Amino acid sequence: MKPFDFVKPDDQEAAIAALAAHSPNVRILAGGTDYLVELKHVSQSPGTVVDISQIAELKGIEEIDDGLRIGAGMTHSEIMVDPLIEKHVPAMIHAAHTIGAVQTRNLGTLGGNLVTCVPSMDSGPTLVALEAEVTVAGTDGARRMPLTDFFVGPRKTILEPHELLIDVVIPKKNLGKPTNFYKFGLRKGQALALVNAASSLWVEDGKFKDVRISLGAVAPVVVRAPKVEAALEGQAVSEDLISEAAKIAITECKPINDFRASLEYRNDLIEVLTRRTLQAAVDIANQG
Amino acid sequence: MDVTITVNGEEKSASVPPEATLLRMLRDDLNLTGAKLGCDVGDCGACTVLVDGIAVNSCLMLAGQVDGRKVETIEGLATLDKFHPLQQNFENLGALQCGFCGPGMILSAKQLLDDNPDPSKEEIQDALSGNLCRCTGYTKIVEAVADAAVEMRGDKQAA
Repeated sequence: MKPFDFVKPDDQEAAIAALAAHSPNVRILAGGTDYLVELKHVSQSPGTVVDISQIAELKGIEEIDDGLRIGAGMTHSEIMVDPLIEKHVPAMIHAAHTIGAVQTRNLGTLGGNLVTCVPSMDSGPTLVALEAEVTVAGTDGARRMPLTDFFVGPRKTILEPHELLIDVVIPKKNLGKPTNFYKFGLRKGQALALVNAASSLWVEDGKFKDVRISLGAVAPVVVRAPKVEAALEGQAVSEDLISEAAKIAITECKPINDFRASLEYRNDLIEVLTRRTLQAAVDIANQG
Repeated sequence: MDVTITVNGEEKSASVPPEATLLRMLRDDLNLTGAKLGCDVGDCGACTVLVDGIAVNSCLMLAGQVDGRKVETIEGLATLDKFHPLQQNFENLGALQCGFCGPGMILSAKQLLDDNPDPSKEEIQDALSGNLCRCTGYTKIVEAVADAAVEMRGDKQAA
């Protein structure tokens, strides 16, 4: 690794101050499961590395007035055993479980997964399907935005070098909403998603309501599939309709053709995963 | 920078550059060579140690991140006259071939059994999915962890 300066601020305010003081030659270190790998291969020093992995304010999950607040510093392992997550957004437990292996989940954070912003991130689709918002804080204060506005492109978010992602909020209206996450990788452990998908929906009087569908690894960032959502909204729930609507998802994605999977294979996966995640969410709705 | 960690119950300090990983500090500065340098990118698990009781890839933590925290390595498991049940059951079954993955496998298994004394086969496989055995000797490794779990549950009841 190229030499760099290392600072470990005690709290969020000090972290933001450190980022501002060293911006733009500064990088944030949270779980490090992605960033340290990158750091081992870069030819230029990042300047200063700010370690936020032990900052207490970035931890914790709590019910707030308008939803469920999840600290950006929560590790995937911590999310998997949190009682509020289990009660309100259990699909996040499954999504977290599909990330890497135990060691990765023990270090890697929810915030890190979102900030790293690789198209195949496994935290993204469930949160997008639940219309999650994120809070970004800097020296000028904090601002909140829909998660979909936070993503800009592969490995690129709206974050400025002096800003920190501090939490993710699941809106109150979506707590307890039937939600499913479905990942397809080449293995169960330590595999990137070839395609992943999530859906959330209510079933009222046998009809679809507030359907939200999101897919990952199919475009430069995690995307929603509004045409599929529109094809289902208000319609009577049926397997045939789900199968028909799932075909539309292909038209809303632009997957790449690479060594992990061909474009054709990814398109097939988009249809199949959209169908399966919708059916699974319907099953959850019908059980509840 | 000066980093002080409690390794296997003993406080140890070293002066390391900021870019030193925990793995490098353990191996080069503290002469604890049980944790292995394998892939160096968090894929193979050969460098697994426990930090505050949880399994991590020590190649993916900076030494500075671990300052003031507790680290457990393979060197801390056995006493002079007795192996840890995981080590003993790995030996009983011949669960290690070349042995390179062993320290990481055993520490991942230790975190599993500390959290879940009665894991299913699937839970053992899941807990070890971040540890690669290039000899591909997974069957006996999983069996050894299951045997160790039985033994450790017995120990706890007796105690």
